[in-house]
Amino acid sequence: MAQRWPKLVLLVAVGLVVAALVAFLIIRGTGERAAEAARTPYEQPALAKTAAGAGAHPAGQWYIPAGDYASTRFSDLADINTQNVGQLKPAFTFDTGYLKGHEAAPLVVGSTMYLVTPYPNVVYALDLTKPDRPVKWSFNPHPNPKSQGIACCDVVDRGMSYDNGRLFMVTLDGQVIALDANSGAQVWRTPVADISKGETVTMAPLVAAGKVLVGDSGGELGVRGSLKALDEGSGKVVWKAYSTGPDKDVLIGPNFHPYYPSDQGKDLGVKSWPGEAWKQGGGTIWGWISYDPELHMIYYGTSNPGPWDAEDRPGDDKWTAGIFARDIDTGQARWFYQTAPHDLYDHDAINEMILLDMPVNGTMRKVLVQPGRTGFMYVIDRVTGQVLSADPYASMTAYTGVDLKTGRIQHNPAEVPQSGRVTRGICPAAPGGKDWNPSAFSPRTGLLYVPHLNLCMDHVYTGANYISGTPFLGVESKMYAGPGGYRGEMTAWDPVRRKPAWQIRENLPLWSGALATAGDVVFYGTLDGWFKAVDARSGKLLWKYRTESGIVGQPISYRGPDGRQYIAIYSGVGGWVGGLVSGGFDPRDPTAGLGIFNAVPDLAKYTGRGGRLYVFALPR
Amino acid sequence: MRKLRPLLACLALSGCHGRQVMLGAAGRDGSMFANLWLVFLIVTLVFYALVLIGLVWAILRRREGGEPATRTGLLVWVGVISVTLAGLSIASWLVDRNMNRAPFTGLTVEITGHQWWWDVRYTSADPSQTLRTSNQLHLPAGMPVRVILKSADVIHSFWIPNISGKQDLIPGRTNDIVITPEKVGLYRSQCAEYCGLEHAHMAFDVTVEPLADFEKWWAQGLLPARAPVTPLQKAGYAYVTTRECSTCHNIAGTPATGQVAPDLTHLASRLSLGAGTYPMNSGHLAAWVADPQSAKPGNKMPVIGLEPDQLNAVVSYLESLK
Amino acid sequence: MSSPCRASLLALVLLAGCDEQARDPRGHPLPETGPLLSAAMNPARPDPRAVDYYKNAFEVSQGQQLFQWMNCSGCHSNGGGGMGPALSDTKWRYGSSMADIVQTIANGRPNGMPSFSGKLTQAEMWQLAAYVRSLSQHVPQSIRSGRTEGLSVGEPSTLRDPHPPRAVTPKQDEASVE
Repeated sequence: MAQRWPKLVLLVAVGLVVAALVAFLIIRGTGERAAEAARTPYEQPALAKTAAGAGAHPAGQWYIPAGDYASTRFSDLADINTQNVGQLKPAFTFDTGYLKGHEAAPLVVGSTMYLVTPYPNVVYALDLTKPDRPVKWSFNPHPNPKSQGIACCDVVDRGMSYDNGRLFMVTLDGQVIALDANSGAQVWRTPVADISKGETVTMAPLVAAGKVLVGDSGGELGVRGSLKALDEGSGKVVWKAYSTGPDKDVLIGPNFHPYYPSDQGKDLGVKSWPGEAWKQGGGTIWGWISYDPELHMIYYGTSNPGPWDAEDRPGDDKWTAGIFARDIDTGQARWFYQTAPHDLYDHDAINEMILLDMPVNGTMRKVLVQPGRTGFMYVIDRVTGQVLSADPYASMTAYTGVDLKTGRIQHNPAEVPQSGRVTRGICPAAPGGKDWNPSAFSPRTGLLYVPHLNLCMDHVYTGANYISGTPFLGVESKMYAGPGGYRGEMTAWDPVRRKPAWQIRENLPLWSGALATAGDVVFYGTLDGWFKAVDARSGKLLWKYRTESGIVGQPISYRGPDGRQYIAIYSGVGGWVGGLVSGGFDPRDPTAGLGIFNAVPDLAKYTGRGGRLYVFALPR
Repeated sequence: MRKLRPLLACLALSGCHGRQVMLGAAGRDGSMFANLWLVFLIVTLVFYALVLIGLVWAILRRREGGEPATRTGLLVWVGVISVTLAGLSIASWLVDRNMNRAPFTGLTVEITGHQWWWDVRYTSADPSQTLRTSNQLHLPAGMPVRVILKSADVIHSFWIPNISGKQDLIPGRTNDIVITPEKVGLYRSQCAEYCGLEHAHMAFDVTVEPLADFEKWWAQGLLPARAPVTPLQKAGYAYVTTRECSTCHNIAGTPATGQVAPDLTHLASRLSLGAGTYPMNSGHLAAWVADPQSAKPGNKMPVIGLEPDQLNAVVSYLESLK
Repeated sequence: MSSPCRASLLALVLLAGCDEQARDPRGHPLPETGPLLSAAMNPARPDPRAVDYYKNAFEVSQGQQLFQWMNCSGCHSNGGGGMGPALSDTKWRYGSSMADIVQTIANGRPNGMPSFSGKLTQAEMWQLAAYVRSLSQHVPQSIRSGRTEGLSVGEPSTLRDPHPPRAVTPKQDEASVE
């Protein structure tokens, strides 16, 4: 018996290698065929590549919302390609039972799919091996219902992360919970937010290097934002880095080397604010974190400063509305770049950062690319924090450019809001050129697929009053469609040539994430419920499907236990803009929902409330 | 009674001295205006005297028909008047031109008018040096100060009669005026545009002091509020920083973070209460806190209805905010 | 009709309007008359003092200012909602009476409305409640503000239809291939 073991192992190993080889050849073959068939004029001499080491991705699986640490949202599955995507059919659906904004990305680990709903943040594990995809287990964390009242823009949850047999989730009232992925049993639970101060958590935690990284939401309630790193095994807080305050709270030490002089100095998190304003200064972390395992650094953005009324907080308001690079083990800051010093318009820097290696002026650079809320596509050297380029990708009147010498964004003085006097025609509006909904990057095309907005606004400062646990804004705002009359846009951006390859205009604002696949198909959803597949190289619409409700989720792709490629997406309108329908608000008030509902007064004509997972596959 | 009238007029005029006088000449603009006023006064007095002399002369020497000499005299008279009036106009124009043209040296104060109080913010290139206070203005003697004027509700007007002319605070607009206080002293500013029920009680104190004193005052103003010491003050602190007061008022360094009412961080160091309505002392403070609507009817502070011991504690704490 | 009779009739009409415009900055009833919330617990007998607030233009306008200052507008906007529910529609989760609204403000509600007990005076809560009712045309038209402020340049509240447009029912799934 003991002697037969090695033989068996050898046999299995050889079999696996052969199977992998065959699979690789098949995938490569189909991918190439698809590429050939879809050939279009847009070809580039030099392609951007996913950052070496950060693009590792479990084959056919989806462990974290971004797919990989480089945040590419790229699936290397190519069964579904430009030729056959038109035959996609729903394979199965699943109703979550909740009707708020479904912004989360499903996860697939082994033969199980994990879903998390908006508040009350219920987790479902679906067994993918059975034809009915029954619920293996579910988990209700019972968050405090009071937290619903302080969530600025619908009670969303942007997803979970999986690592090493455990799922890591957050609740709206700020608890981080580790679950056993097999049984759904709670392993640990750590509260990291105080709802009496207006703190909530909506972001998807990121698990990397043995740590669970979690930020907070509440930039609209005068929260003092912070990022926490919890030990993956025990849930204990290992480090906590505030976004405002003295250097020791921000974890700024001798290794902090920001590229631009305006970020150099002692205790700027206090000195760039009037009085004690930094204590209610915002700078929350509610978006995305990328991780470069080679440099051992994480990258994330901080939110708008509080209050929105910028006249109440003269100064640069550090370290809000900027991008931090930190050492993942100690949390010590490495560099910082402020995309919007003294932010005037709620232009957070929380958007996703895609880690790429690409040629800039002839030399290969390690960069991060962020489609910023300011409307600029930032290409930043992720080692030093130097801005290599910043080109507008959305309609823009508020800014005239970014000075690459000082790193400072340049304001258009005519669009600087004032107290008591309405400033009109500010583009991009408060949700920015693009809000939280993440882009996808395909190393096959070298293009970044950016689902974004075309909104402008009228803005007036009214003065803010700070009452703990209530909004801290001091602004009235009213948004509307930008130039051209359309409200959303899908842009394929070529980071090397610094210009769009193609663009698709959408009537309604785009609030869903994007997915790029090796079949050269890009998937995204619209607020009126259409789930679309377009050609990654030309932008040609290849397929669309009307779901029951508006789509604000993040599509993913996986290989099921039956060997087929699937595409999964949540349908369930909500979030800031979709909250108009999910929250049942009144669009006759042009300032409702911080002014965004005025941009979509017709939304209820296109979609009702919903909460359903759709999974698509090619017919057998 | 008729004979008493000039006397009464004199009495009324005698009130016009001290902290709120148009001809106080305590500032650069104020001095220029006072000088111009004096020039006008002397010139017009001289001409008044000449007219009276001419009138007396004409009555004494009246006769039938005109005379060439008289005609020449009249022509000369018209010429003298024209030249003098032109001279006065030029003087007036010159003064007007020079007013509000002092070289700007960097001290900027932002004043926002509210019904019926003044929000004052000293700005600085270093944002952490921003000083927020209300219903008082400290100014360094001899230094031009740019005052930025805004309004949160209706039109008000900024006027420190001793120091400078008026400038309106208009909702939705940003006005400014450069003033140069020259004489050290205490002055009073009064809202000069009717702005509602308590317009008359919308004033503030102006302290003009040597630069060194001013800088010391600014540095002290940046400090957080004093911590309560006595048990009574502590009880007051507990009430003020957690209850109704804290919803509207700000006291730096405490949980009271309201922004819609006057800043109270160094309340007791101010000279007056209720935007220049009452002198600052325990009695007035207690009366104000107990029933602000009797003290200044119509102002935005509600009657809370404090119990006597709560009132004692609150007043004791507020008095400690030097 | 004789002219003295006409004059006295006119005077009566004018005086009738005076109640709506009367302003008592000390708040009424006076704070020292005790807690107002006892009657609020009994919906069958509405608090008799409620009418002093929602039928008085001064109190409604004071409520409007407090609605901004106390950050109510941060969640409820100018009635359309956002972080909190819309107040300009005809739906009331926790009751539409003045006493119900004062209860909501004073004690908060479990789904997120914070408690302002100890943060606002009773009179201020009644003023706020009166303004909240005015957002959905639940106060007499003659005391509502005939103009809109700031960016809310929609129809004046005096002309607004209390019924918001109805949301459509979810559409059936449909597929199409291009």
